[in-house]
Amino acid sequence: MKFKTVGHSEVRVDAMAKVIGEATYPEDFYMKDMLWGKTLRSTKAHAHVNLDTQDAEKMEGVIKVFTYRDVPDNHHGVVLKDHEVFCSKKVRRIGDPLAFVVAISNKIAEKALKTIKVEYNEIPAIFDPVEAMMKDAPLVHENHKSNIIFHYKLRRGNIEEAFKKCAVIIEKQYKCGMVDHGFLQPEAGLAYMDGDTVVVCAATQYPHFDQLEVAEALHISQEKVRIINPAVGGAFGGREDITMQVHLALATKVLGRPIKTVYSREESFLAHSKRHPMVMTYKTGADANGKLLAMEAELVGDTGAYASWAINVMRKAGVHATGPYEIPNVKVDSYAVYTNNPFAGAMRGFGATQVPIAHEQQMDMIAEELDIDPITIRLINGFTLGSTTATGQVLSDSVPLKECIEAVENSLGIKNHYEEKMEELAMEAGVGI
Amino acid sequence: MEINKTFQETEVEAVLSLLDQYQDNSKIIAGGTDIIIQLHQGRVNPEVLIDISNLNEIKEIKQIEGRILIGSATTFTSLMKSQVIPKNLWGLIEAASQVGSPQIRNAATIGGNICNGSPAADIVPPLLALNSQLVIANKMTERKVPLETFFIDKGKVDLKNNELLSYIEFENIKENQGLGFTKLGLRKALAISRISVAVFLEMKDGCFNEIRIATGSCGKFAIREKEVEDFMRNKQVTDELIEAGANLYSNIILKRLAGRHGSDYKSEAIKGIFKDGLGKATHLAKKGGV
Amino acid sequence: MKKINLKINGSEYSLEIDENMRLIDLIRDVVGLTGTKEGCGEGECGACTVIMGGVTVNSCMVLAFQANGKEILTIEGVKGKGNDKLHPIQKAFLEEGAVQCGFCIPGMVLSAKALLDENNTPSREEIREGISGNLCRCTGYNKIVDAIEKAAYYLVKEAEDNEI
Repeated sequence: MKFKTVGHSEVRVDAMAKVIGEATYPEDFYMKDMLWGKTLRSTKAHAHVNLDTQDAEKMEGVIKVFTYRDVPDNHHGVVLKDHEVFCSKKVRRIGDPLAFVVAISNKIAEKALKTIKVEYNEIPAIFDPVEAMMKDAPLVHENHKSNIIFHYKLRRGNIEEAFKKCAVIIEKQYKCGMVDHGFLQPEAGLAYMDGDTVVVCAATQYPHFDQLEVAEALHISQEKVRIINPAVGGAFGGREDITMQVHLALATKVLGRPIKTVYSREESFLAHSKRHPMVMTYKTGADANGKLLAMEAELVGDTGAYASWAINVMRKAGVHATGPYEIPNVKVDSYAVYTNNPFAGAMRGFGATQVPIAHEQQMDMIAEELDIDPITIRLINGFTLGSTTATGQVLSDSVPLKECIEAVENSLGIKNHYEEKMEELAMEAGVGI
Repeated sequence: MEINKTFQETEVEAVLSLLDQYQDNSKIIAGGTDIIIQLHQGRVNPEVLIDISNLNEIKEIKQIEGRILIGSATTFTSLMKSQVIPKNLWGLIEAASQVGSPQIRNAATIGGNICNGSPAADIVPPLLALNSQLVIANKMTERKVPLETFFIDKGKVDLKNNELLSYIEFENIKENQGLGFTKLGLRKALAISRISVAVFLEMKDGCFNEIRIATGSCGKFAIREKEVEDFMRNKQVTDELIEAGANLYSNIILKRLAGRHGSDYKSEAIKGIFKDGLGKATHLAKKGGV
Repeated sequence: MKKINLKINGSEYSLEIDENMRLIDLIRDVVGLTGTKEGCGEGECGACTVIMGGVTVNSCMVLAFQANGKEILTIEGVKGKGNDKLHPIQKAFLEEGAVQCGFCIPGMVLSAKALLDENNTPSREEIREGISGNLCRCTGYNKIVDAIEKAAYYLVKEAEDNEI
């Protein structure tokens, strides 16, 4: 059978428009009678707030200043509805939206923003996810009894018994930091009315869900909301949550005119999610031959002020905590915790990216203790066809991990000469397994 | 305050008249790569902007009677391509080539890099090591100041609001002399220097007959390292001397940055950077000995 | 307000502008050429790259009044007006799969053009240096470097064909 596409290189459908400069990203749309919007954002991490927007509203060229009072249902969020469209009583992080100024020009909107008086009454904030788990920690969301919003438990076999049989046990803690997606196109959007339908044009990864969120916040039916997703200038997970979609929809619905907003790079950093920083505490044990017998891990994910995809991310981190290795006895506890940090959500790998820092380092240290090379220890323990994962999944299809490791080994020419060859290679460039 | 007047001049005299007229209310714009960000962030609020990027008179590099004159509105790209700069002055070219990116180097000027007064200005350490003088003009007169005394504080320089830096000049390099430059940045392109070193050398009979060293990104502004220079001058070049010089340098940096962020790192890094810059300068000056 | 005259992609413009307007705002908001992108507003990303007076500049770091009397080339002018034929650089970018989200591409193409106008047989290292002021977050750069290498080949071949 001959395929038309499979096995051939294809030019992507939108590449032509992009290479001649004709592809339209949301900031490239201009409409007649268009107004400009600017978002006021919190500069404190945890505070009760009061806004005085009078001066801004009186400014010439300002059409309206939207606050929480204007939002029919002031909530949104992908898993938990824990974001407010505009903060009503308190802010939970630096960058929380407080108001949306709509004016006849971007310049006037920017000026008006500066005239809004924000009274902050700061309250104790929490920035360390481990401290945030303690009983007396300040609560980021009062309607939750604790800052812990998710606890994933994985139990397989009996780790206590298994650790007793181990020839080597490595116990270490690993921390990884917050990462921004840094997509190249800062958020931008344009909204307008098409009859009685609210149309929002914004670069998003989740147009159907945006439609639902806009409809719910505005208290209108989903059929009256249309989301148009034009060219998206990179996303990497950072466009899964709502940023300005509801602000724009609300403003165009109330004012009846097209509204556009374009974030600066700085505002973009404030507006969207981050990769979860994690504190990963590992205990891994193997027998004298390097066969893994037991692993215990505690993963604490800092989701910042809002849950976003924390539950899914920390579940995935927990599922992947063993790495691609068969371990008969496993105990994993993975937590997602609120803090007053920037909120964390989806980013390439969705929780599976952080744990390898820990489980792979554990493997190297076990190998070193047992005087086994880093490749052999992985070949001894790596998943293969028919392996059972810690969650009980039997891998019945393609599992080419060992072939992959062997291919790397062969191409580096390090088979049976690991130590000396690696040293030789390291003289030219960094090498690691 | 908002900009309400802009001038795009082609004659130095016209610029000096405008500066004389508007003084405090005016700002000079050349490449714009610093001031446009400052304007955007509201850090400067002039009413009048005077563009000097079309002053051909101060956009060129020339050699007059054994001295090299660099027009202040010369871009980094022009400096890198200049036929006037001899090979031994490679440190100057290397410093210019590490500024920003091609786009930045096409716009940004040597004079702008100096007058902005940033401690991380890449072109300043090599010019300091060359004992450069600045030619500064106003409508009535002209004055010459050593680059070394031009810096007052971080972001603050000895330039009045009616003055224009027109030239940077220094003695042309001789065959047994060399200028080396080494910069430590966080990445290859668009990296603001973490620390940089320029070394000027004159070699004679295997000795450092003259040595001048300048450090960037290590204090409020780039400065000369006279203690290290005095230690190394007129001495036979040996590995031991270089090692001892590097250690002395390291101690000086540690003292200067005492208690400040990155002092341990910079005082250690300076050893390697200094040796690298010194090695380049020695190589360029090799005709004179070693 | 100030009146300036300039040439963009071969067309003359006489425009009223605000004194503090940036060149990118003139190109996008006044002239309506939206192919030039703003990614950072401070000269780090190069998405706003245009060719002015024969050299690349970040149009977010040039004030519009400074462009008075200048000749500017934006991405819309690379292919040529009413010309269906792509520039060899654009053709190579398509063929090599160098385009993903596309936001960096206008700036990349112009940086590549400035590089190849000056040096039509650059090494891969020279290509990397030539695009060092343009950030791409999707491709990891290799395919972009491949594309520019291929474009260089096309341009040399085109020049040879023209000689025959």
